[in-house]
Amino acid sequence: MRAVKYIILSIILLIMIFPLLWMFRISLLPANIEGTLANFFSSYFTLISYLDLFHSGNMLIYLFNSFFVGLVVTLGNILFCFMVGYAFSRHAFIGKSFWFYSVIFVLMLPAHIVILPLYLLIYKAGMYDTYWALILPFLVNPIGIFLVKQYVDSLPRSMEEAARIDGAGEMTILLRVVMPLCKPALAVLAIQSFMTNWNSFLFPLILTGSKSVRTLPVGLALYQGHQAIDWPHLMAGSSLAVIPILVVFLLCQKHIISGITAGAIKQ
Amino acid sequence: MRVRQTAGVLLASPWILTFLAFWLFPLIYSLFLSLTDYRLLQPTYSWVGFQNFINLFSDTIFLNSLKNTFIFVFGAIPVTTIISLIMALLLDKSFRGRTLFRSGFFMPSITSMVVIALIFTNLYSRGGYIFLLAQMAGFSPPGNGFLLSNKTALLSIMAMDVWMSVGYYMLLFLAGLKSIPIELYEAADVAGAGRWRKFYSITLPLLKPVTLFIIVINTIKSFQVFIEIFVMTQGKYNSSSAVYFIYELGLNRFEFGYASAAAYLLFMIIAIFSFIQFKLMKQG
Repeated sequence: MRAVKYIILSIILLIMIFPLLWMFRISLLPANIEGTLANFFSSYFTLISYLDLFHSGNMLIYLFNSFFVGLVVTLGNILFCFMVGYAFSRHAFIGKSFWFYSVIFVLMLPAHIVILPLYLLIYKAGMYDTYWALILPFLVNPIGIFLVKQYVDSLPRSMEEAARIDGAGEMTILLRVVMPLCKPALAVLAIQSFMTNWNSFLFPLILTGSKSVRTLPVGLALYQGHQAIDWPHLMAGSSLAVIPILVVFLLCQKHIISGITAGAIKQ
Repeated sequence: MRVRQTAGVLLASPWILTFLAFWLFPLIYSLFLSLTDYRLLQPTYSWVGFQNFINLFSDTIFLNSLKNTFIFVFGAIPVTTIISLIMALLLDKSFRGRTLFRSGFFMPSITSMVVIALIFTNLYSRGGYIFLLAQMAGFSPPGNGFLLSNKTALLSIMAMDVWMSVGYYMLLFLAGLKSIPIELYEAADVAGAGRWRKFYSITLPLLKPVTLFIIVINTIKSFQVFIEIFVMTQGKYNSSSAVYFIYELGLNRFEFGYASAAAYLLFMIIAIFSFIQFKLMKQG
């Protein structure tokens, strides 16, 4: 019985990871060798595709753009989602419940509805095809706000009150007392926003037009479309898009999984 | 208290500004656009009322992409839900190697959709290994590969989507399974209930909320299927979806008025489905 279970699980595992192994394997094949099952197990290994990508330049620009935009958005998310989430948890202000409903509303809103008007808005604001277009609308996101609010809700108020009695100002309380306590939630938030941003495709596709600000997924998607697809190079570029995510995943698995399940169970 | 009021608004202002500028304004703007014949490269436009919406209902290209979207939603979601439940049940109890299997199953879900779509474009092509496997299994795949055929393009994309997302929903099912109190199973053991009996009387009913949640988020997501189609078929071979139609019309042909009407129509369809599912969730 036990052996049967392991065999079933192993077959599923093979099905789930083989396509990724296939990608890595093809990226290591010389250009003139066809990506067939036989060559998968062959002894042809070369890093030439990766070197080509670094020499030709474009892929290097996309890679830089993905890292740069991902980093700025993640830092923005940490700061702004923290501020907003804290306000929703601890402060009373006019229209608070309306603004909180707006968070839930955007969380459920199908993004396709805003692509055309957002394109027009960004275009008319002169931000089309700039880093601003990829950063500004995404500096604060509903999932992050939700995460922080839930976490601050669960913290005791005593620390903040003690600091207030000691005469600490709101800013000090926020940055010196509450933010350190929120580290676990902010870690989950940072990992989630970096991964989401790194894989983001629809918005970078519509908000950029030139190679200089394009991110890696957009660069990859538009790389093909010439007559014959150049698989080793395309798969090398794809591997570059996957490796950072795999590294983050392997290092922070617990955070990622708890981030996903925490959000779901609360609903 | 006055000071605290202001502090609250100030702290929440990043969201308030983002919401107003990048969500609420676009929503209203596109509703306005959908009632006009606005085209990006034309200086003038006029009010057309509901004409765009009326035209959509006789636009065979739109109706076909909507039909494909429905096939995608109703075809892929049940399969995804069942497979991810089975995977969660296999990994529910703790055993040696569990974490390895769980991570492996989940890996496709964190990979970029563009990359997955590129890999499967290779696998589905003539000579790709899914193509070869199908031949070995005795099927005769379409001569130019699965994606270059009217019969199999959409179906192949759906299959890939199921493969990609089962790991994610498995995690949600695992969390649901973990929240079932162990005492219920112990009580059932005392009452002499068998494995299947326990599964039908305890596990399944108590998984209902998480199952509905999974179906709701998957419905919203699946109605918007776009990236796979953009990368793999560019909407050819009868595989266009509603969002692909909106993208094509809006950003390639700049028919912003007409495309916005299509976007709103899809939005309303998704809203109706979500509303019904929420009602069901409340009941359960």
